Amino acid sequence: MDYFRSGLKSVLGAQPPDQQITGAETVERLVSRVSTSTLLEDRRDACRALKALSKKYRVEVGAHSMDVLKQVLELDRSDCEIIGYCLDTLCNITSKEPFDDENESPLALNVNIGEQFTEMFIKNTENVTLVLSFLEEYDFRVRWPAVKLLTSLLANKPKEIQDIILVSPLGVSKLMDLLSESREVIRNDALLLLINLTKSNANIQKIVAFENAFDRLFEVITEEGLTEGGIVVEDCLILMLNLLKNNTSNINFFKEGSYIQKIAPMLILPENIEEVGWSPQKVSNMHCVLQLVRTLVSPNNPVQIITACQKGLRNASLLEALCNILMASGVPADILTETINTVGEIIRGNLTNQEYFANVMAPSNPPRPAIVVLLMSMVNEKQPFQLRCAVLYCFECFVYKNEIGQGQIIQTLLPSSLGTSDITTGQLLCGGLFSNDSLSNWFAAVAISHCLIDNPAQKEQLLRVMIATNLGAQAVGLLHQSMMHLQQGNRLQSKIGILMLLAMWLAQCQQAVQVFLNIPGAMAFLTAQTSASECDNNEELLQGICALIMGLCVVFNDNSVQNYSKENLSQLIEKRVGLETYCKKLSEISRHEVYAKAAKQPQILAKHSSELLLEFEFCKFFKTFEGVIINALGVQRDLQNGISELSLSEHENALLLQYKELIRDQDKKLHDLQKALTNSQREKEMLKNELDELRQTNSQLNDQNTLLKAQLATNTTSNHIDNNFSGTQIVPPSAPLLQNNENHEELNNLKKELIDKTEELERLRKDQENLLELLTDQDCKLNVFKNRLREFGEVIEDEDSDVGSNSENEV
Amino acid sequence: MSYAYLFKYIIIGDTGVGKSCLLLQFTDKRFQPVHDLTIGVEFGARMITIDSKQIKLQIWDTAGQEAFRSITRSYYRGAAGALLVYDITRRETFNHLTTWLDDARQHSNSNMVIMLIGNKSDLESRREVKKEEGEAFAREHGLVFMETSAKTAANVEEAFINTAKEIYEKIQEGVFDINNEANGIKIGPQHSPTNPSLPGATGSSGSQGGGCC
Repeated sequence: MDYFRSGLKSVLGAQPPDQQITGAETVERLVSRVSTSTLLEDRRDACRALKALSKKYRVEVGAHSMDVLKQVLELDRSDCEIIGYCLDTLCNITSKEPFDDENESPLALNVNIGEQFTEMFIKNTENVTLVLSFLEEYDFRVRWPAVKLLTSLLANKPKEIQDIILVSPLGVSKLMDLLSESREVIRNDALLLLINLTKSNANIQKIVAFENAFDRLFEVITEEGLTEGGIVVEDCLILMLNLLKNNTSNINFFKEGSYIQKIAPMLILPENIEEVGWSPQKVSNMHCVLQLVRTLVSPNNPVQIITACQKGLRNASLLEALCNILMASGVPADILTETINTVGEIIRGNLTNQEYFANVMAPSNPPRPAIVVLLMSMVNEKQPFQLRCAVLYCFECFVYKNEIGQGQIIQTLLPSSLGTSDITTGQLLCGGLFSNDSLSNWFAAVAISHCLIDNPAQKEQLLRVMIATNLGAQAVGLLHQSMMHLQQGNRLQSKIGILMLLAMWLAQCQQAVQVFLNIPGAMAFLTAQTSASECDNNEELLQGICALIMGLCVVFNDNSVQNYSKENLSQLIEKRVGLETYCKKLSEISRHEVYAKAAKQPQILAKHSSELLLEFEFCKFFKTFEGVIINALGVQRDLQNGISELSLSEHENALLLQYKELIRDQDKKLHDLQKALTNSQREKEMLKNELDELRQTNSQLNDQNTLLKAQLATNTTSNHIDNNFSGTQIVPPSAPLLQNNENHEELNNLKKELIDKTEELERLRKDQENLLELLTDQDCKLNVFKNRLREFGEVIEDEDSDVGSNSENEV
Repeated sequence: MSYAYLFKYIIIGDTGVGKSCLLLQFTDKRFQPVHDLTIGVEFGARMITIDSKQIKLQIWDTAGQEAFRSITRSYYRGAAGALLVYDITRRETFNHLTTWLDDARQHSNSNMVIMLIGNKSDLESRREVKKEEGEAFAREHGLVFMETSAKTAANVEEAFINTAKEIYEKIQEGVFDINNEANGIKIGPQHSPTNPSLPGATGSSGSQGGGCC
């Protein structure tokens, strides 16, 4: 405290000896001086003091001075010295790291003070723009702290600062200009700033690239002496990596800008490298260069980008340079490892590059192909683990989509070529497959399996490989030997490796399945594994792959092995394992954490050898066939054509025959019914035609009838006959017309007659009535006369009772 | 791969006018009817020949959306040529040209060659902007004008090549300062007589002299 106080005397004036002035009070006094002083010198001194206090009294300075510092930055920008103090102070209070002599503050325990102050400072985005504008000031006292302040802000709030810089006019451009700065310290700090700024922000990466970053960076690298240079070279390379990683647009730009050629000189080892040795910085730089190359051809990039870059790398002789490093002596193991990985990705899936690689010879005596030398390391227990992984990856890349290469490798395994005295890839792989080192077994198995991918011809070729296990013993096939190894061994890694090989071998190769099914005990082994219920550490993977192989034996079965036909095997799975258990075992593979790890990228990534169990291409393979197998087992019954009658049991055969008979019967019935239907239809058609004809005649007759009626109307007076006639239309139209007419006439005559007769009858009736009336009159007259006679006394005898009764009554 | 000059272009204009399709047609000679919205910027490149000189074109295709405007502005400085594109079937894209032009003029170097392009000339039936209007606008603002179709490839080559010719002429006239890479022009590696890693520093004056004669 005393020391500090004495340092401040010049600024604050002498203090009374008994003062107990705290840091906070000092800061407050300084702040008020900055804001109130009219003299620039006074403000400048106060700022210098604030800067001095900003480490030890960081919280106090930050809490009180933020506003005045901003004010100074705006108003005093013409004075570089005061701006420099301000920027330095801000830089200190926003620093992410605590300072050694920083006063312990109660606040500092849990919160990051630097981050808090950063947040306060950038709340107004103008402040960042203001700091950016100081980059244009050439004065060292301003430019350098401005760079440092931006670095500090970025470290605390990367996302926010990125966004602000991105939208600040020429923000990135101003930073880029710093790479041409002649004062190295500024350039180097700007480099670090750009590295942080370009992290995971594609838009900034593109703008930085657009602003000629690659040109600048290669200039710096060349100036600094390529890979022999210091950490600045490494920084340049890291920035390039940032710009290219997962940024297709920039990779395209890099390739089109012919920057690949500019990498080449960095990969050429000096003649005297063995004497000079590899400095740690050189190793780091080299590592970055290799990473840079790999970023261009990473399997994650779009295929057309990879292909174009692979071609570019070959044309720029980079592939050649890398192969030279591969074969050079004295190269540190990790550089060698990374070089192998890099070569692998440059040749991966590119036939021209793969051919080039196949012809690379190691400078050994006698000269051997590079690939043989590499494989020797892979199956050598003494080699570093990462190196061995890299060799396998490189080998996989070599045979990836390379039918010719796959064939060549398998060829070296075949009996004909075994006679040569020199070591071949085949010998190395076979040796590795059955050696005592389980990692070698795994590596060799995976390597061989990659030679079989999408290549049925090689799967069949591989069946011809014979292995002599002991002197004098009968040579057995590779498949057989693998199975024996599997049954005898007890190391998981080795077993899983061989099982993966078997699975990829049997798939889509009926011939291999046939050979496999004939191996005594093979199926029993798989069944036992698949149906096992206990599983301790990673056993479930083993069981899962065994289940997978069983399934493949069903799917790719040509029914040539009596006891293991398609039907028998699916029965076996259903009865012995149970479909549900089987599917569960199968899915154990993809549920395992090593599956997720391995399926992520083609490269073999593992910290420790025991982590190596599954592998990328196998995961892809599994994904393809899991569904196929489950389908085959589940719905097989419905697919009659998938099963020949031979594979069925007697009972089922009888059942089948029964059904066949039934179907035949039904078929016949169906046929008959169809015939009958056709006949009926034909008949119906005929009748319909007839009906039509009749209708036509009928309508003709109708017409004629009408005609006749008209004629008749003119000739006769009576209409109702016509009406009557029209009512009798149903008369068969075939009746002769003439007769019809005669009938008419006759009818007419009869009617007339009838009328005459009726009239006659009427007349007679009238006559009769008249007569009856007359009679009544006469009767009355008679009665009158009778009565007169009685009056006259005349007795008159009643002629009838009627009259008599009347008279009686009267008496 | 060697070239005499390298020109940087940008393509600007409203969203959906066919900027990415123009670039794709020029670099890959194909047309993609459904194109994703450009995010930020995308890069493309092609070699052309002018005056029997190989010229490499590096083209940055920018996003037309307003949200990306501040990002795409970073590309104005440092481009030697710009293709300002509108859609002849959408009047509003033509109406926005002034805004684009102001923006470009404000942020770019004064010598940047701007080519005005009325795209989608194949859609004659849906035309909303007459060719004469485009010509008039170009005349008024001192731009080169052309109607193109990224779909049929009509005039696409010409648009890019004519812009390059214009830049090339300006170089011949000595208007462009080729020492300054911020102008969007680079001299090819083999044309630079000194250290190839420092193309701008000293060697370019010789090349420029050669161009003038």
